[in-house]
Amino acid sequence: MKSIRIFLIASILATLTLFNFIAALQGYKSSLHEAEKLFDRQLLQTAKLIANLHVDKTTNNLNQLSELAYQVWHNDQLLAASNNAQVETITEHHPGFGYANFDGYRWRTLAYFDPSNNNWIIAAERTDLRYILAEDVITKAVVPIVLGIPFVGLLIWLIISRGLKPLKDLSVRLKNKQVNDLTPIETPELKDELKQVTQSINVLIRRLGSALEREKRFTSDAAHELRTPISALKVQLHNLKGDLPAGNESFIQLQSGVERMQHLIEQLLSLYRSTPDEFSSHFTPVNLYQLAQDIIAEQHLVFEAKDQTLALEGSNNVIDGDPLTLSTLLQNLLSNANKYTPNGGSILVSVSGSKDQVCLKVEDSGPGIVSSDYNKVFERFQRLNNKPEVTVTQGCGLGLTIVKHIANLHHADISIAPSSFPSGAAFTLQFNKIPGQDAKHS
Amino acid sequence: MFLNSVVLILQEILEAALLISVLLVFTRLRSIRPFWAIAAIASGAIGAYFFAHHMASISEWFDYVGQEVMNAFIQLAILFILAIFSAKYLGNTHSPHSSQMNRGFIVCTLLLVALSLTREGSEVFIYVGGALGDPSHVQPTLMGSVIGAGIGISVGVLIYYGLLGLPTKRISTSGLLLLSLIGGNMASQATLLLTQADWLPYSRILWDTSSWLPENSILGRLLYAIIGYEATPSLFQVFSYATGILLIFLCAQFSFRKQPPMLIKQTSTTTPQ
Repeated sequence: MKSIRIFLIASILATLTLFNFIAALQGYKSSLHEAEKLFDRQLLQTAKLIANLHVDKTTNNLNQLSELAYQVWHNDQLLAASNNAQVETITEHHPGFGYANFDGYRWRTLAYFDPSNNNWIIAAERTDLRYILAEDVITKAVVPIVLGIPFVGLLIWLIISRGLKPLKDLSVRLKNKQVNDLTPIETPELKDELKQVTQSINVLIRRLGSALEREKRFTSDAAHELRTPISALKVQLHNLKGDLPAGNESFIQLQSGVERMQHLIEQLLSLYRSTPDEFSSHFTPVNLYQLAQDIIAEQHLVFEAKDQTLALEGSNNVIDGDPLTLSTLLQNLLSNANKYTPNGGSILVSVSGSKDQVCLKVEDSGPGIVSSDYNKVFERFQRLNNKPEVTVTQGCGLGLTIVKHIANLHHADISIAPSSFPSGAAFTLQFNKIPGQDAKHS
Repeated sequence: MFLNSVVLILQEILEAALLISVLLVFTRLRSIRPFWAIAAIASGAIGAYFFAHHMASISEWFDYVGQEVMNAFIQLAILFILAIFSAKYLGNTHSPHSSQMNRGFIVCTLLLVALSLTREGSEVFIYVGGALGDPSHVQPTLMGSVIGAGIGISVGVLIYYGLLGLPTKRISTSGLLLLSLIGGNMASQATLLLTQADWLPYSRILWDTSSWLPENSILGRLLYAIIGYEATPSLFQVFSYATGILLIFLCAQFSFRKQPPMLIKQTSTTTPQ
């Protein structure tokens, strides 16, 4: 039941139609029965009339009517009959109604005894004509019921639309609410049924606001509280380096551990900092090609250290986004490529645009990712060491989770595919383009 | 004329509405857009028109029993496709479906509805076309047809929403029950038609309930459309009815057994660093 409106209209109209039409059928059958009784009474009156009239005169008056036949019997002698009646008696001389077949039709018959003249009056009417007449009258009564159904349907549609309007208004109000607007929903004109819903939503909004506030405070406090001791630790490490002989294994392990811890904290803070939806309200035009150039310029030494070739292709393409988080996205993608591409390998960054979208692609010549693991790589703390030839020196398994998170914040689609190199993976992000921004930045 | 129109149109429309409702419910369960229904109804209407239009020549086939034989074959074809549908698609309504599987599902449902409408619709075309030839019959025939169609479609709509309102687990069971009854009905009707065409021998009448519930009454026609009610069924009809129900039921069991186990979220085999 995807639409409450369609469900209500269809089910109510079906129920109404079903019961109305069944009632019309029952009415038809009852009316037909009543019409039969009425026709029988009329036949009885006709028989009495024939009995009271002079036989010759009656003959002249009635013999023109093909739907009526009669006979007047006295002591088994036929005194008079209509033209369409047979010579034999139409029905036995027992009082009451019955049926008979003659003249090519089926007839409703009545045998009536006239005690004043000792005559038997046999009157008969064609059943097909009685039925057609009755059906014609009764069907006319059914017509308004049938023709009324479309109007009833229209009325039901209007009433249900009117009834669901407050729900629709509430849904529009919620839809139009800004992502960073955590003020309660106003409820002055709401119907009783929706007040409870609105109150529950307002309670949720309040709790969400408090949770976001707590998270912001935690991020801010954690940034300060965790960075300071690590910075102090790094200073101590620097001092210790001078006191120890070069290549001390314990020192190298300690230094690596501290760096990993610093990286982990930075990534965790980055992940939580970019969680609130309010980011989208601060979006500005960002030239992805320009941004990629800057990030590559900053990080080229890391790639040189592994003798990797890093290339950038494409043209200026502008999207609506947050420059800081997009920098993190690119840094993480490049860092991932750097880690998983062996020494002497290649990495290609490309930025291309179509009419509506901008495509950012980072490809490497590393071992690649098995297609069954495509979704897994975006999970938190996932590191796929399925290629034993790759040695990863540093990482916490959050980089690609953050990439996906930032892509989601920018309403971008992210996908993984084999790269254009003989081996390796290609991460592709499809952003919505800002129309008419290319010229300004090209 | 009015009552005859109601009874005939109701029976034909109700049979089709019942099938379409159940198939639409399974379509909804598979999250497929129900556009196939429009194509199926349009194809069925065109098929019904041509079938009715050529009925005179079709009737002359097979020594003047062409109409009975063709109708029986259409019903057996519906039963056959229904069996395939039950075997392939009834059991795995909730598991993720490939586009190829959904294509097969759509083809099956489209064929079922189109064939059903071709047969039911041709009878409606022939009856209404004949009745409208006499001006005195126009109004009662039209009114009777609208009332018969209205009741049939309304029952179909209520069955559709009634099934959708059931707990998800019971929808498949209830749908299977209705499809089995439709299957039994098709087999029984095909047997009756082939017996009338002298393609099958006559067998003894097992019981006669026409005094309790005549086939031509509204309730009789309703039950005929829903459970294949016959007041005077022959031995072969009862046998084929039971066979039809059993066939759909067994095919569905095959489908239920083939259903893949629920996917369990895989735990990572990698070591967090």
